[in-house]
Amino acid sequence: MSWARLQAAFDAIIDAPEHQRDALVQDASHGDADFERELRELLAADAVKLPLLDRSNAEWASALLADAPRPADERPEFGPYRLLRLLGEGGMGVVYLGERVDVQRMVAVKLLRDAWLSPARRARFTTEQRALAQLDHPNIARLFDAGTLANGTPWFVMEYVEGLPLHRYCEANQCTVTQRLQLFRAVCSAVQHAHDQAIIHRDLKPSNILVTTDGTVKLLDFGIAKQLGQEHRDSERTHTGLRMMTPAYAAPEQVRGERVGVFTDVYALGVVMYELLAERLPLDLSSRTPGQADAMILDIEPEPVSRAARAQGAGSAAALRRSEWNDLDVLCKMAMHKDPARRYRSVDALLRDVDHFRAGEPLDAHPDALSYRVSRFVRRRWREAALVAALVLLSVGAATSYTVRLGRARDAAVREAERRTRLQRFMLALFTGGDEAGPADSLRVVTLVDRGVQEARLLDGDPAGQADLYATLGSVYQKLGRFERADAMMQAALLAHANAGNRDSLTRAALLLNLGDLRIDQAAYLGADSALTQADALVVPRVSARDANAVLLQSRILGTVGRRQEEQGLYDSATVTLQQAVARYPASDPDPLVRASLLGELANVHFYAGRYAESDSLNRLVLAVQVARSGERHPAVAEVYINLGATEFERGRFVEAERWYRKAIDIDSTFYGGAHFRTAAHLAMLGRALVSQERYDEATSVLQRALGIQQATFGSAHPRVASVLNELGNVALKHKAFDSADAYFTRMATVYREANGDAHFTVAVALSNRATVFNEQQQYVRAEGIYRDVVRRFTEAQGAEHMNTGIARIKLGRSLIRQKRWAAGAAESEAGYTIVARQAEPGVSFLQAARKDIAEALLALGRATESATWTKAWESHAAPK
Amino acid sequence: MTHSDVHGTPANDPDSRSELDHLFSVTYEELRRLASSVRRSDPRASITPTALVNEAWLKLAGSPDVAHTSPMHFKRIAARAMRQVLIEAARRRQAGKRGADELHVTFDDTVNAAATDADGLLALDDALTRLAAQAPRQAQLVESRFFGGLSVPETAALLDISESTVLREWRLARAWLARELAADA
Repeated sequence: MSWARLQAAFDAIIDAPEHQRDALVQDASHGDADFERELRELLAADAVKLPLLDRSNAEWASALLADAPRPADERPEFGPYRLLRLLGEGGMGVVYLGERVDVQRMVAVKLLRDAWLSPARRARFTTEQRALAQLDHPNIARLFDAGTLANGTPWFVMEYVEGLPLHRYCEANQCTVTQRLQLFRAVCSAVQHAHDQAIIHRDLKPSNILVTTDGTVKLLDFGIAKQLGQEHRDSERTHTGLRMMTPAYAAPEQVRGERVGVFTDVYALGVVMYELLAERLPLDLSSRTPGQADAMILDIEPEPVSRAARAQGAGSAAALRRSEWNDLDVLCKMAMHKDPARRYRSVDALLRDVDHFRAGEPLDAHPDALSYRVSRFVRRRWREAALVAALVLLSVGAATSYTVRLGRARDAAVREAERRTRLQRFMLALFTGGDEAGPADSLRVVTLVDRGVQEARLLDGDPAGQADLYATLGSVYQKLGRFERADAMMQAALLAHANAGNRDSLTRAALLLNLGDLRIDQAAYLGADSALTQADALVVPRVSARDANAVLLQSRILGTVGRRQEEQGLYDSATVTLQQAVARYPASDPDPLVRASLLGELANVHFYAGRYAESDSLNRLVLAVQVARSGERHPAVAEVYINLGATEFERGRFVEAERWYRKAIDIDSTFYGGAHFRTAAHLAMLGRALVSQERYDEATSVLQRALGIQQATFGSAHPRVASVLNELGNVALKHKAFDSADAYFTRMATVYREANGDAHFTVAVALSNRATVFNEQQQYVRAEGIYRDVVRRFTEAQGAEHMNTGIARIKLGRSLIRQKRWAAGAAESEAGYTIVARQAEPGVSFLQAARKDIAEALLALGRATESATWTKAWESHAAPK
Repeated sequence: MTHSDVHGTPANDPDSRSELDHLFSVTYEELRRLASSVRRSDPRASITPTALVNEAWLKLAGSPDVAHTSPMHFKRIAARAMRQVLIEAARRRQAGKRGADELHVTFDDTVNAAATDADGLLALDDALTRLAAQAPRQAQLVESRFFGGLSVPETAALLDISESTVLREWRLARAWLARELAADA
């Protein structure tokens, strides 16, 4: 008997109305009595209950496999929760509708089935719980509570969302395209939030996206979410291999069982968006076998969403213009690209283009067709013109050249801004403490960055993105003062870039530039030179070819070379280099902030060279740009305030300095919170300003606060801690609390030694301050011994001609002169004076001190005329108070 | 029943055949080991074949025995192994003449209190073997879903047929088995 024939007849008849059945059976049997009997028996058997086969095998198998009869489980206790009914079952968990008894609130309770099976299983369940716990977003169902039943079954309670799946909601409410995109935006922002916490959803689909009656989007089910950086290799394979995701929304890499990442969610969002617009799925998999479906997901390019919408008669089809549909085609295509590397790099990038679309601006994703950009930009400009009703018509030629130039500049700006936003977002995630306060800050920072590192490692399939992320992480480590890790990251970035087989020399140059910058922080100046020279060599040919990006990069390289010279105390060279950098900076000024940062660096050089007026006026320029760009309450503005304050401080205008510092701290506290290390750094500077006003008690309390934050954030052996110790030492010195001053400076030296190594110049700074304590106590011999060591250290670390070496020699001279060792003292002071005078303004305090000391020594040596010259010089530079 | 009389074996050449046998026995051992370790650690725990099979895969996926096997293929083997484990348990149960009326209560009242029916299971196993003679793919479909605990989409993927075909074939096979069991009784 043919089973196929039986199957066909059975299928045709089984759901037919009872009264037609007889006729249908006879018809199908064609007088074949055996077939007819068999068919009738089977049709009748369909209604027979077969408990064993119809129930979940869990029920009988469990009992069968257990040796001893088991008492029935008691009703589980959930603290204040009561279970009402089963909502659904997933791979591992069961979800119930529950009620929180005390406040009568509906909740969803999820239990792990078969928790006993293995620790790995519990771990996976808690992954979802942990994921939810990390997420705090209005569009993500919230975690309320979690615990374990008496029998060890873990459970958690989350927000119960009553709503319709996204597409059904749109259907039911006949949402317009604008409304649909608005809902889609909310979905994206929820997913981006998860990504910010390094959580990939992996199972985005309309049934996991509910919309409540008031139109709020809620993202559910992080059941197979993946914590980036957490290696569940095996379960990973199980998940992907066993198709726990829904094929219609599965990305090619999921079908292939490859690594998933941010790009996987981007793909699913693309499908969701396509479906929202076209009212059907991009690929029709319904009648396909899974094998065919896989092949389609891998190979078949969906038809453009515009055509699908038209064919489907979707409401959106007529609502949009042709050009708008073009953009949406590009948007969907870019989100659902078969190649993960060619998709939007992040949900944010996708979101940005959705916003561009809504604002009638050019898409970032759009193929670089000049005509497109021109038309899009002209149109937008015209619209603005019409709105303002004030623009005179430009000649067509002028308008075109303007838009083309604008388009290019805009491209560059967008790219730069994207990088910056990514970095900023990352830094923000790092440095803005969430709700949880406490000393875990350092932990958070390190954990997050380390997680980033693991994320970067996962990006094997995308070396370009990997290089990007490594470079970002390198910068973060660098900013955290963890130079070794930063170094490793930068090297990894260069390697990843090389592996990308990418011949893009500019990207490599940019990475080398980062490395050079890091080397400067490491005080490895030769290494910095080598990296910067290499970077420049890569850039030069492209600059000759008038590549705008290369020009931009070159001026940044110059800027960094300038910073290197500045760090080495070569202020004149640094000034020239930085001025060159500013001059080379493209006139079109794609990003005013880059230019401002070059000016800021130049201001720093002026500052260190004691040219406070120049420094001050440049900083005010930088401030104007920064405020225009970011508003007044941005931390970058705080940094400029700090520089302005420092300039005032050096000019002895401590009240003004205090004012600037307080403005900066005000921003810090709002932006980062009061217990943030940035706030701490600025508190330390405020402390200095207070010390100088002899407000020692206030100063001490401000500095202690700063020290507390720094230690909690960085541990006790970090350069930032050392710099606060330095300030506290200075306060104690002013107080003439010499013992505690000595203790602070000694600790400072120890910290720097641990952090930077014994040979680093910061150790010399600490020792030099310690020597000053002895000088003040008139223990000149002891001071002299330390100063000699300090001079040697500065010479080795920064060179014989470095300003620090010069200053140390002036101080050494003073300790000798105080011992009445006039000749040796005068010689040392003069040597120091020569070094410093070459680089600093003639009025700086060290030079004044040297003049005084030298005059005193020469007078004692009987060289009155020479002495008088020094005294005169001193008088001519004495501040007219 | 031994594994050789299970139908739906994909390859007939001796090499892959022996590889399959090896894979089967590794999986079988793991399933038994898992089931008994669960019993030891918590006698009141509930055990689902689905969970056991998933767990066995997690355990074995990294091992050289299974390294070259796709998860799908593994599931097919595991469903057969699971069938064997369960049938043996039923035989033990039958031989021990232990009560067949114990209750397993889940948290969900609607699927509560299923009796363990060792006799019924053995009868079903026999009927399924008979079905395999007539309709091998349908028998495998039942085996995968019933013993392996595979979901409809998983079964569809395993047999490379559409989900609707799985449902149609399941319905007829189920009716066929119901009739056989009724005739046995």
